[in-house]
Amino acid sequence: MLSIKDLKASIEDGTQILKGINLEVKAGEVHAIMGPNGSGKSTLSKVIAGHPAYHVDGGSVTLDGKDLLQMEINERANSGLFISTQYPTEIPGVNNVEFLKMALNSKRVFLEQPEIDDAEFKKLIDEKMALLEMDERYRDRGVNEGYSGGEKKRNEILQMAILDPKVSLLDETDSGLDIDALRIVAGGINHIMGPDKAVILVTHYQRLLDYVKPDFVHVLRHGKIILSGGPELALELEEKGYDWIEEN
Amino acid sequence: MDAQTRLKQIGMPRRNNELWTFFPVAKIPTPAFPEACADTTDYSDETDFAALLPIAYNARPMQRDIADNASEMAMLKCNNDFGHTVLNIGKNAKASLEILDNKVAHEICAERFDIHVGENAQVHIFFANPADGVPLRFRHFRIVQEAGSKVFFSEIERGSGIKRTSLDAFLKGCGARLEIRSLNVLDSDDSVHHRITIRHEAPETESVQFARNLLNGKSNASYDGSVVVGADCSKVFSSQLVNTILLSEDSSVSVKPVLKIYHDDVECTHGNTCGELDSEQLFYLTSRGIPEKTAKEMLTRAFAKELFMPLEDSPAKKRLEQVVDSL
Repeated sequence: MLSIKDLKASIEDGTQILKGINLEVKAGEVHAIMGPNGSGKSTLSKVIAGHPAYHVDGGSVTLDGKDLLQMEINERANSGLFISTQYPTEIPGVNNVEFLKMALNSKRVFLEQPEIDDAEFKKLIDEKMALLEMDERYRDRGVNEGYSGGEKKRNEILQMAILDPKVSLLDETDSGLDIDALRIVAGGINHIMGPDKAVILVTHYQRLLDYVKPDFVHVLRHGKIILSGGPELALELEEKGYDWIEEN
Repeated sequence: MDAQTRLKQIGMPRRNNELWTFFPVAKIPTPAFPEACADTTDYSDETDFAALLPIAYNARPMQRDIADNASEMAMLKCNNDFGHTVLNIGKNAKASLEILDNKVAHEICAERFDIHVGENAQVHIFFANPADGVPLRFRHFRIVQEAGSKVFFSEIERGSGIKRTSLDAFLKGCGARLEIRSLNVLDSDDSVHHRITIRHEAPETESVQFARNLLNGKSNASYDGSVVVGADCSKVFSSQLVNTILLSEDSSVSVKPVLKIYHDDVECTHGNTCGELDSEQLFYLTSRGIPEKTAKEMLTRAFAKELFMPLEDSPAKKRLEQVVDSL
């Protein structure tokens, strides 16, 4: 489904952050990427999404065989990619619900489907907001405007639920969440996940993986995946930290 | 001294005159006044060319009185090249007044509004129609506010031509408050200029100036905003903020804040920002599948909409938001 081969990327001053990432994600799989601060985890999701602050130096990223790196940012999203960044951006003045409807209709237009009508969209958003136990305040406010860290993360999962992407790359979705919110957000991810979809979780901690069970765990360090394993690897990392990997 | 005599005395606007620093003064045609000035009011203290012009041209005066405690909504329209409107808002009255644009296409249009706002009265003065077809438009406001009065002055400038809004406000009574919100959405060679002077002449008076510019093409905006706080005026609050987004390489903005404060116990601020659309916001919207062009339109509309958000719900606010939504 998502294939990343020898992906290298740098920032404006020429510093290379990603130094050859290789990752194969198949439909129905949940992958977790862990790693110390500054290892390139957040950069990976932004590069795949097409953030203009990064330059791709080499490699490829394909989604169902289509070259994502040749697409515009919105085309990548409409092809089935969903990226949730660590710090979701606030956009005052753009109503959250109107934004969601615009995003969904952009995808539908891209896929040559009719735009969703008001009644159908209301039913959809009511259902997804109930799933994530979100209150009415989310409807009237600007996108992420004045939200707490946890509210922003919940709003990200709402967007994921509405847009129904093939592959979701969620960067530290668990940060800023209290225990109850973590359970709700994780429940939302599990609900959205299906045999024809894939999720990549970027996290520092095991706690999210207690709720969303990964099939594979990868360790990213110095811009490369240096170790991959099963879910037991996350527990080992929690216990031993990262230094033992390189020492061994 | 009548308006014609005073105009001849101060002469044509020049760039070295502080009130006209940013204005393309060469575009102002030399006036050809009628033989006599019908209005014999003494204008010897008036310093702004644009404030005198309609009077010197014998603009037909239109007076409207709103009685004490009355509530009124009205539209004001000037059908001639030159207009002079006198508004008297009674004590405790409430008024919502929309100024419509002069659709008579001529070389120049100049309007003057003298507005007296009685004690505890509340008035919303606003205009949002595009002023196409008038190459040069002057609009001057002289607002006198008594104690406890509130004036909301909101405007959206768009459409072709050169426009200048000048405003002299006198906050004469304790607790008077004036809020000015100006949105300029300009393109091509459009240019809009503001010259605002707010005089706090009583304690505990408040003024807010908030302007936002969305400038495309070769458009140009300027904002010259002065606040004067008198020596006996404690607990005065005043703020001035101008935010500009330059949507093209050739657009430009000039901002000049002037604060003259003769009392220590006041809070007076001013700020000015200028930049492009926020790249992180643009990335966020496009990363959700929204095409870049649509995302930019959403962000510019949001920037404009924010200006009027703090206003209380009213027909005026609704009208302003409708115009923003249509941008």
